[in-house]
Amino acid sequence: MIGFLHPWVLLGLAAASIPVLLHLLARREPPTVVFPAVRYLITTTREHQRRLKLQNLLLLLLRTLLVVALVLAAAGPTMPLRGVAGHAASAMVLIVDNSPSSGVVVSGTARLAQLQAAGRAVLKRATPDDALWLISADGIPRRGDPVTLADQVSRLSVSPRRLDLGEALRLAREVLASESRPGEIVLLSDLQASAVSPAEVSTPLLVGRITASPPPNTGIGRLELGPQPWSSDGGRIAVALVGDSGPPLPLSASIGNRPARQALIRVGGIASLNLPAVPSGWWAVTVQLDPDELRMDDRRVGVVRVAPVARVTWNPQDRFIAAACQVLEANRRLARGDEITLGRLGRVGSVVMPPADPAELGALNRALAARGIPWSFGALVVTPGATDSNSIVGRTRVLRRYQLRSTASGRTGVLVTAAGSPWLVRSGGVLLLGSRLEPTWTELPVSAGFMPFIDVLLNRLARGELTIANAAPGDVIDLPDLVTTVRQGEREWQVEGGGKFRPSDLGEYYLLAGRDTVGALSVNPDPRESLLAPASESEIRRLWKGAQVVDLTEVGGFAFSSGSRGDLRGALLWSALVLGLLELGMASGWRRAQ
Amino acid sequence: MNRPAGSPRRARLDLLDPLEVSKLGGIEVVTEGVVEGFLSGLHRSPRRGFSVEFAEHRMYQPGDELRYVDWKILGRNDRLYVKQFEEETNLRAMVVCDVSRSMAWTGSPDTVLPKLAYAQRLIAALALVLLRQRDATGLIIFDDEVRAVVPPRARMSHWRQLLHTLAELEAGAGTAAEPALRRVVDQLRRRGLVVFVSDLLLDRALALKALRFLRHRGHQVLVLHIMDPGEVTLGGPAEARFEDPETRAAVVLRPRDWAGAYRETVRSVVGEWRLACRRHGIKYHRVTTDTPFGMVLREALAPASRPG
Repeated sequence: MIGFLHPWVLLGLAAASIPVLLHLLARREPPTVVFPAVRYLITTTREHQRRLKLQNLLLLLLRTLLVVALVLAAAGPTMPLRGVAGHAASAMVLIVDNSPSSGVVVSGTARLAQLQAAGRAVLKRATPDDALWLISADGIPRRGDPVTLADQVSRLSVSPRRLDLGEALRLAREVLASESRPGEIVLLSDLQASAVSPAEVSTPLLVGRITASPPPNTGIGRLELGPQPWSSDGGRIAVALVGDSGPPLPLSASIGNRPARQALIRVGGIASLNLPAVPSGWWAVTVQLDPDELRMDDRRVGVVRVAPVARVTWNPQDRFIAAACQVLEANRRLARGDEITLGRLGRVGSVVMPPADPAELGALNRALAARGIPWSFGALVVTPGATDSNSIVGRTRVLRRYQLRSTASGRTGVLVTAAGSPWLVRSGGVLLLGSRLEPTWTELPVSAGFMPFIDVLLNRLARGELTIANAAPGDVIDLPDLVTTVRQGEREWQVEGGGKFRPSDLGEYYLLAGRDTVGALSVNPDPRESLLAPASESEIRRLWKGAQVVDLTEVGGFAFSSGSRGDLRGALLWSALVLGLLELGMASGWRRAQ
Repeated sequence: MNRPAGSPRRARLDLLDPLEVSKLGGIEVVTEGVVEGFLSGLHRSPRRGFSVEFAEHRMYQPGDELRYVDWKILGRNDRLYVKQFEEETNLRAMVVCDVSRSMAWTGSPDTVLPKLAYAQRLIAALALVLLRQRDATGLIIFDDEVRAVVPPRARMSHWRQLLHTLAELEAGAGTAAEPALRRVVDQLRRRGLVVFVSDLLLDRALALKALRFLRHRGHQVLVLHIMDPGEVTLGGPAEARFEDPETRAAVVLRPRDWAGAYRETVRSVVGEWRLACRRHGIKYHRVTTDTPFGMVLREALAPASRPG
């Protein structure tokens, strides 16, 4: 299909009507000339009319074609051509999949090196007229000239971030959407089956794939640290492997710099290990396997909070709360004490529910205001709704709730929302819950998530801790309110509470509110990266219609020929020249003959 | 009589551009100048051979002019014989002039005489030459009908009458040559010379029929086809509506596109006239109005144009 570099120039095709218009305009009202020998003219025209009409028609056609050829040439037409030495100015997005799986070492060479060599081969064929972008696992399209991009390709390292190839193709398509030049996408990847997702590819797509089979690989797919905070007695972790099945592998787990615990584990199984007691504080837990061809997934980290359990006072009349607290007490997840008052406003930390008697609401609001809490209970909402998805309580049905009104500017301190409105908020050590924890108000008390919710509520939230989250590099994390700093080792990022944070490296990140650590973030490779099995060629063609799949070592030769297009400007200009000469020759020849 | 300025005799007016010549004076003056130049330029007199060829003797009869008595025979045989000549009288010529509206046209008024003005001067010169040879010369003027007839006379004073008729010529309407040509028969009882001066923008079949009739009657016929240079080569604006002044027929075309084909058509028409005339023993000359009068006279009065 013919494309154009400057399609707006095609408006000039209207100029093709100029010869016809001139012809028509010139025909209007010619002057009258008295001429006695009109009979000779009549004889002449009778004998030559047909020939002259044909000549004029031919000249008109030639002139029109000449204008059309010139306008088309100016519009920069291109069309798919194979086997041509050069290529038309093209727009190309080069996707180099430097996701963790590209770090697999085969015969002493990382697969990324093969991808880089292929990328340089592709860019070597580019010309300064081409518009080029490079997309790697970080998902940022970078534009540059061939030399710059080749340098960037050479400096690529194995990224901890997973690259969803379908997403990358969509991004490339968006990049090319604004380009008038014919576009092409070149994807260089090991084509992990787990990374291949459907994408509608309207642009020519050249896929360079590594044909050699990947080596067997096993990685740590999951690390579970159990309920937090851990008590000073230590904790228990669960580890699961992912990858190719094989014999049991030795696994070591450690907390802080304490001696590691060992276990044997195989793919599909779960290893549970007890980690030793450590003092109160934030601790990094590390599990790792012996090194194999893919190193990045052989290690996984997590963050645990070690602290004494919360000492709680609750009202035995609150049936569901009392039951939950007794169970947690029996499991040593809380103790009786006056550190936190559950159900009503206490002197220190409190989890405040709306009173059963609405008449007490005014007094409660006044007490909250007296304590300087910028939240109060508002009108009763009896429209059933659900909590919005969150890490604290998940999605739970809420039948009745009081509106939680902020008396300060903004909505600082919102932890959970229901139907878009605050449902669980915090101010200092005081938590306000929009519904009573009873089945007539919410289904939470009769759901499986109730016990963990009470645990989190008392041991973390009521004590000022916000979150302990897991993520993969590149994931976007919603930072809780009050967080001012994110720290990883010596590095720190100043952030705004309620904003977004995108960790780029593996490891543990701590969320700080001022000088207090209020949360932590564990960043580990996506476990899907451990699955190295490639997608079949037929699967790729099914998911990416029209894709041309070639061996990685040959991709350089195919670039700018599958998607790139031959420049038709030269041919059109030659045509215009021939048409012009024809017109000149015929017009002058006929004139001379006359 | 005023002589044209610039010593016309020496300037050979017969060889000058007709428009330039016409500016020197009236028809009479100019024509005299042209004829003088023409005659002085001839290497031999056009009079030679004019009706003085001896044919035979015959017995004198009462009434015969005594000047034709052959006195030598009378002296030898004592008998009266008179000399009989091929032509006993001088040539009788009729000029038939087309004054249709098309004859009033010129393609370049600044540089070329209208066809009618050219014809006037040419006829006047021709008549003067003929009259100086003692040839009787008459004139018939026509457009779509016969406008004037001047019977042939051999007196020099007759030239004034011809001039007077020519000077009063005005372009008429259409063209109908056949009646005018047939009127010649009334004026030339014996064989004579008929000079048909026209742009030939007429019905060729009818005109040829009439010319053949004249030839059949024994007349020598000379056709002077008067053409303006603008009729030979088509020109004009880029595109124009060309209109016939007589018939109002019109055609719209671009002269540049048609010039070549038109030239071919004119050549073809002239060729057809020439061929048709030759086939019937008619002498044909195409005369463009920028041709010096002397050259036309030379063609017209060449010996072959004598009746024979």
